[in-house]
Amino acid sequence: MPTANVTDARMTKFKNKGKEPSKLRERRIAVCVELRKAQRSESILKKRNISSLPDDEALSPEYATDNKEVISIAIEEIICNVNSNSKEQQTRGCQAARKLLSRERNPPLKEIIDAGLLARFVDFLGRDDDPTLQFEAAWALTNIASGTSWHTQQVVENGAVPAFITLLGSPMLHISEQAVWALGNIAGDGPAYRDALIACNVIPALLARLTPDAPVGYLRNLTWTLSNLCRNKNPFPPLSAVQQVLPSLVQLLHLGDKDVLSDACWAISYLTDGSNDRIDVVVKTGIVPRVVALMEFEELSVLTPALRSMGNIVSGSDQQTQVAIDAGVLSVLPRLLRHPKPSVQKEAAWAVSNIAAGPCQQIQQLITCGLLPPLIDLLRNGDFKTQREAVWAITNYTSGGTVDQVVQLVQSGGLEAILDLLHIKDAKTILVILDAINNMFLAATKLGETEKLCLLVEEVGGLERIEQLQNHENDAVYRTAQELIEKYFNEDVEDECFKTEATERDFVFKPAEVDKQFNF
Amino acid sequence: MSQPSEPPVDAPAVTAVPLPEVKLAATAGKKQNKKKVEEVVEEEEEEYVVEKVLDRRVMKGKVEYLLKWKGFSDEDNTWEPEDNLDCPDLIAEFLQSQKAAHEAGGKRKPESEPEGAGAGAGAGAGAAAEESRPKKRKDEPEKLRGFARGLDPERIIGATDSSGELMFLMKWKNSDEADLVPAKEANVKCPQVVISFYEERLTWHSYPTEEEEKKEDKN
Repeated sequence: MPTANVTDARMTKFKNKGKEPSKLRERRIAVCVELRKAQRSESILKKRNISSLPDDEALSPEYATDNKEVISIAIEEIICNVNSNSKEQQTRGCQAARKLLSRERNPPLKEIIDAGLLARFVDFLGRDDDPTLQFEAAWALTNIASGTSWHTQQVVENGAVPAFITLLGSPMLHISEQAVWALGNIAGDGPAYRDALIACNVIPALLARLTPDAPVGYLRNLTWTLSNLCRNKNPFPPLSAVQQVLPSLVQLLHLGDKDVLSDACWAISYLTDGSNDRIDVVVKTGIVPRVVALMEFEELSVLTPALRSMGNIVSGSDQQTQVAIDAGVLSVLPRLLRHPKPSVQKEAAWAVSNIAAGPCQQIQQLITCGLLPPLIDLLRNGDFKTQREAVWAITNYTSGGTVDQVVQLVQSGGLEAILDLLHIKDAKTILVILDAINNMFLAATKLGETEKLCLLVEEVGGLERIEQLQNHENDAVYRTAQELIEKYFNEDVEDECFKTEATERDFVFKPAEVDKQFNF
Repeated sequence: MSQPSEPPVDAPAVTAVPLPEVKLAATAGKKQNKKKVEEVVEEEEEEYVVEKVLDRRVMKGKVEYLLKWKGFSDEDNTWEPEDNLDCPDLIAEFLQSQKAAHEAGGKRKPESEPEGAGAGAGAGAGAAAEESRPKKRKDEPEKLRGFARGLDPERIIGATDSSGELMFLMKWKNSDEADLVPAKEANVKCPQVVISFYEERLTWHSYPTEEEEKKEDKN
């Protein structure tokens, strides 16, 4: 093979041509390794807050340790700096504290508190002459307030709240945002601090920061803090506060960012988790159609609170439930009943159970919108908690439904499905099932078809199960089972081997039949 | 069986005379009737007053009501056939309350979640993954990376788009630590460096005809 010697020199300048494959491979691997290292160190730096800036390198090895001595030395230095009169030293001390408090493992919250530093940090919040100092102090206090109730209490008792509310108005967006965050942590502690903040007029101050040009990160923090102000029961937030926040919540709920939507939805779920007048306040904003739309999102972070909100709304009055139905909730529920996640199935079934507790017109809409088949599937295949909700749906349905509607339920396999659940351990649920069966028999009575229903129950092995329940340890269960047997299955007390040869007959209550005609 | 011609409005009398023992014989229908007749015969002067109607059921096609008796405890409540009763007001009241209860719908409010006041942020108080955290700690370091470090680019030593965006691995002057910068940013801030990177990696593909010509020349 002739070798082109003249071209060798030039060839070496090319990346690939003329090089030996093994050398090329070596080089490729080296570059790949470099890339991987860079990405890995990037993600590690994100987690560990080990900065590699020249001025911090001296400090980082110390702060990465759990050694109590090292930490207390570091804190002593912080105390020194923070109590000095020099801006630079104060900032350095504050920043060092902030770094300790934002490291991944075991941030020394208590040590910082015990060092008496909080009072100084709160002072620094007011230092409009030094935004860096304000920012570091705000960050440090935020992280302390993110701890237990005791930690949050220390922050509040050092007078941080009015200072943070003032900081909301800072011209520096990152400082204002830090104040929002800190207040969110304080509000999230519980109803007491939540209401204390509300009494300090935190809501108007926050809402004033809600502008269309706010960056998305800022909006996310704002929405989260607002949601914490809606959170918690015993007691609920004051109604006046809720009414102040709602219009802005509605606005936020129409934005596109998923994190904002998620937190705004959680806020709605907290506000609807209460008495019907609380639900009313929310429903009157006209937000329900948007909540239905949010239930169609793939992201669980949005879907979960939307579904929870809707479940809360339909646990309200019939009118409130009708608003939800008019907004199209019944067209999105079937998909959620079939959702791969069991918790979603469960919440969807709970919502359906409450809709089924309404008047027969609403039950009719359940049928029309195709909710029976997926519901019955859940009875058969759902996990236990989901099955329990589905059972409630069936019982509520049989209680409020017309005779025709009950027949439809039986024909769709509803009776068989609940009979199959009679083997479960939970006595309460068994009672609910027996209730449903009773209701179905009441409907059958009106049609004069109790015998046929008995046969159907027997056919699918239900009679055996009910008979077994007469031996159940739970009082109410065996009594109810007994009554059921007596009422409908013991027409001829003497003949215990009573059996009909009615297999040829055309039953109304036979589930396999598609034909819905009644025999009377 | 005596019956007052004008029963007082709020305390209607009942014709039948129930006794506590009767309810225990619930399963033995025939026995129950017998006993009742006996009681009536023995104590026909006594009347018992219904205090309240508590429940309703249908037994073998007959409507029965569960009655609370005035002067008796709840343990003495009994089921009585509708035909035996003469307390239409109490029955109406019961039916009305049933209707109202049903209108309330049998709705079930959400389960009360134990809202832990002051749940620690990092501890993750066992809440569902999608639950919104009540408190959050700010961990994010304000760390400068890439061009924000303020260093001068020396050379690009690699490229990757595994994050979805084309990134260059940049070697900086006076630093051993290379890091990733977005290509979009590098194209603007140091175009010559980017060009060098691409130039180094240019490859020429030769066509078959050229090769053949070369061979022929050699020969």
